[in-house]
Amino acid sequence: MSSHREAPAISKDPVADNTDLYAFVSPDDPGTVTIISNYLPLEAPYGGPNFFEFGPDVRYRINIDTNGDGDADIIYEFAFETQVANPNSFLYNSGPILSIDSANWNRKQFYSVTRTSRGHRQVLGTGLACPPCNIGPLSTPDYDMLASEAIHSLPGGRTVFAGQRAEGFYVDLGSIFDLGNLRPFENLHATFGLPALSAAVGVNGTDNFSVHSIALKVPISDLTRHGSTPTNVSSPDAVVGVWASASRQAATVREPWSDYVQEAGEWLQVSRLGNPLFNEVLVGMGYKDLWNSLPPSADNRFAAGVQHPELATLLPVLYPGVFPNLAKLSAPRADLVAILLTGLPAGVVPGFQNFTGSTLADMLRLNLAIPPSSKPNILGLIGGDPAGFPNGRRVFDDVVTVELRAIAGVTYPLVNSSYTPDVAAGEITDGLTPASLNLPFLNSFPYLGTPQGGYQTAPLGTV
Amino acid sequence: MSESTRRGFVKNSAAAAAGMTVVGALAAEQADAKAAAKSGPVVAYIRKPGTGEISVMSGEREVKLHDRKIAARLARAARREAR
Repeated sequence: MSSHREAPAISKDPVADNTDLYAFVSPDDPGTVTIISNYLPLEAPYGGPNFFEFGPDVRYRINIDTNGDGDADIIYEFAFETQVANPNSFLYNSGPILSIDSANWNRKQFYSVTRTSRGHRQVLGTGLACPPCNIGPLSTPDYDMLASEAIHSLPGGRTVFAGQRAEGFYVDLGSIFDLGNLRPFENLHATFGLPALSAAVGVNGTDNFSVHSIALKVPISDLTRHGSTPTNVSSPDAVVGVWASASRQAATVREPWSDYVQEAGEWLQVSRLGNPLFNEVLVGMGYKDLWNSLPPSADNRFAAGVQHPELATLLPVLYPGVFPNLAKLSAPRADLVAILLTGLPAGVVPGFQNFTGSTLADMLRLNLAIPPSSKPNILGLIGGDPAGFPNGRRVFDDVVTVELRAIAGVTYPLVNSSYTPDVAAGEITDGLTPASLNLPFLNSFPYLGTPQGGYQTAPLGTV
Repeated sequence: MSESTRRGFVKNSAAAAAGMTVVGALAAEQADAKAAAKSGPVVAYIRKPGTGEISVMSGEREVKLHDRKIAARLARAARREAR
């Protein structure tokens, strides 16, 4: 998945598992940028009685690189605390939760937001309330109202929300993880000698699941090196790198016959996320946990996985005869290095650049001078829409298709005009679009949809 | 000053100095104990006892201490407990 359960260690620590990251110029407020960082993969909405929540023992961060060195120049940090009103009750709520401060809600979460820039630390807000999880018509009868009460204004024209949202990342998990099968093309799959399959429509494996989102909307000038609001697309100052992370303290000590847990030491990163699917697809199994512990500035050591992606060698094997040109392509994939690790320099795509320099660093790169698109294309830049992925990432961008096609060779002509991509490279997809989502996106902050209530959710069925 | 008087002076001075050192050490120990009483739990981690490097963690802080004697004593204690 984008980055859900993408590495062995973090798959066992969902509360710190960074699942998706979005960064885009807010379409309904174009003087601002919205950054959304998701955690807690695949929340089943009925997962009580201890419903999902952020970790008070985790530090969540949104990191901004303003000078292209792959290290954070601006950090927004989020620290959570949980308050239990009645420890003698096993109930999450003892009656309908009609407002975010309801006395019926037994287990509330609050958080602080701190911005650090070049050593200057500013607390932007404390005691900010999260909404409850969406439980059902008796417990959370007006969930949208509860969520709206959890949107907080911060000083400096900033806005924040932290809480449960509908999963917006659409992907056919069941199919892709079954040996690279893509249902719309499974009639062409090698099937390893097993009976042939018939092409089928994609199935959204994340449908109706929820995540926990930290959404932050800030003025564009909050993210730039000199506090400016760039208007020149070609200016290096217009591009920032964005990644999210989660950290835990170095030591955890437990005591026998006790619920006492002591944590101590520095905060050490256990999860990070820039471009979707980077650690998932381009980093080997034995190195994924290490990758999660490092800053983007250390990504040079993972460049080989980008230059020679394993998936690019598998596609011609899994789909015999479908990718003949890709099968012959053995040169390092400078196109993927540019898209994922340096940004695209000026002159590659007319009128566009999101280049941050020669440092190889996995970050979402956002050119802040590019306004939101009036006619967005879910394929972003390869669909002719420079306001979309890989220029940042919007909630509806079809990053699975974009990255599949890029790895299949559709972007290689950007660096070698003599290469002709296979026809299939421009058509490959898992067959999903935002229309595949049962829970739609919102047109305004926090943009990710209303999470499904537990009562309203049926257990998983079969295809 | 006669030799015997000088010897006595040196002896007495040495004893006084030693006493002052003991008093000083006790005072330092008491001050350390007072400071320790105010601090929260402390976690010490020794990855390789032979190097004498000890990571001492308290709250959100971590300091590196190099002390082969303490590291060796703790390693010995750990071996004793393991038996």
